[in-house]
Amino acid sequence: MIIEILSAFFSVYVFTMLLEVPRCYKIHSAVAGAVCWYVYLLMRDRGSSPMAATFYSMLVVALISHILARYLKAPMTVFLVSGFLPVVPGTAIYRCVYYLLLNDTELSTHYLIETVQIAGAIAMAVFIMDSVFRLVQVYHENRKAIS
Amino acid sequence: MQEKKLLDTVMLAGELMLSGGAEVYRVEDTMNHMLKRSGYQDAEVIAFVTGIFVTLSDPQKETLTLTRRIRQRGTNINRIYRVNDISRRFCCDSMSVDDAYAELKEIQAEVLYSPLMKVIGTLSVPPCFSPMFGGNALDFFACALVGVCLAIADRLCRRIRLNDFCSSACGSFVVAFSALLINRYLLKAANSDVMIISSIMPLVPGVTFTTAIRDVLNGDYSAGTARILEASVIALAVAAGVGGGMMLFRTL
Repeated sequence: MIIEILSAFFSVYVFTMLLEVPRCYKIHSAVAGAVCWYVYLLMRDRGSSPMAATFYSMLVVALISHILARYLKAPMTVFLVSGFLPVVPGTAIYRCVYYLLLNDTELSTHYLIETVQIAGAIAMAVFIMDSVFRLVQVYHENRKAIS
Repeated sequence: MQEKKLLDTVMLAGELMLSGGAEVYRVEDTMNHMLKRSGYQDAEVIAFVTGIFVTLSDPQKETLTLTRRIRQRGTNINRIYRVNDISRRFCCDSMSVDDAYAELKEIQAEVLYSPLMKVIGTLSVPPCFSPMFGGNALDFFACALVGVCLAIADRLCRRIRLNDFCSSACGSFVVAFSALLINRYLLKAANSDVMIISSIMPLVPGVTFTTAIRDVLNGDYSAGTARILEASVIALAVAAGVGGGMMLFRTL
């Protein structure tokens, strides 16, 4: 498990070079990626489906990205994109088209559904965290307006 | 005329963010914020993945409209970060329009990592990903070898300026072929499936697909569907490349 988390850390760290992440945020992004994979493994070991595990890990990553974005005054996309790299449905989308080319409709549909499920889980988790942070913002503004 | 320069600046900011792979709502939001300095009554921004439209209108003044076609797309976090920074300073009035324009032009030409760093990045992604797909130490070394082949192929494709579809197909072809070759002649115990999957990680459009679904959830349906199609086309290129590599290997 430790090897896998280290692997997630280093894969995100080297991937940031391809995504042109600013140098000062490389470590933060890699930590976000490692945390993402840690939560994913933790939930998968507890018996969650890949979709549910992705959902929980992305909730945590979105939370971290929002906090880092406010703390470091950078857009949250910087940490979010690197954070979801380990769970991104890249293999599933590749397999879907690959089996389509091999004329294996059953496996192709299976991986298509998996792709949409995982991407949907990521999007839902980010969306929920965005809404929560918007609510917090509105709450603070209202308190300021009253006082 | 100051308004025209402002419109140009805002358009450039939007273009940079969109070509860097930012979500559509972020692009529209940033542009709307920057347009608040125009003094016009209405400012309307529509961003698609393939183009942006901006209109400034006011009953007292002439209406200004600008359209820009976006041809190049990818993921470039640095652009999103820098444009966000500039728009923040621009909106709190501490920056003139000319300065903002000059800085945005600078970002357009900026490349953070040298080609050598990019090569190092490409060749070290496959071995780093392999443990996450269940690979062992042997697979790690095998993936490192495949990564070297991928990095060379990537450099060659860039040198002859191949388009995106062909360079993805070419890269994945090299990955599949070299992975199977290494598996047969060099490291017989390595798992070729793990090798191929972790080596195509730099090529597959996972980030694009996820951004697409996020755009759809935010209500930007046209941008979302365009991105889904984009991701499908890249996935097709990768799958075709891998399939071609496997077929060629079988005929050997």
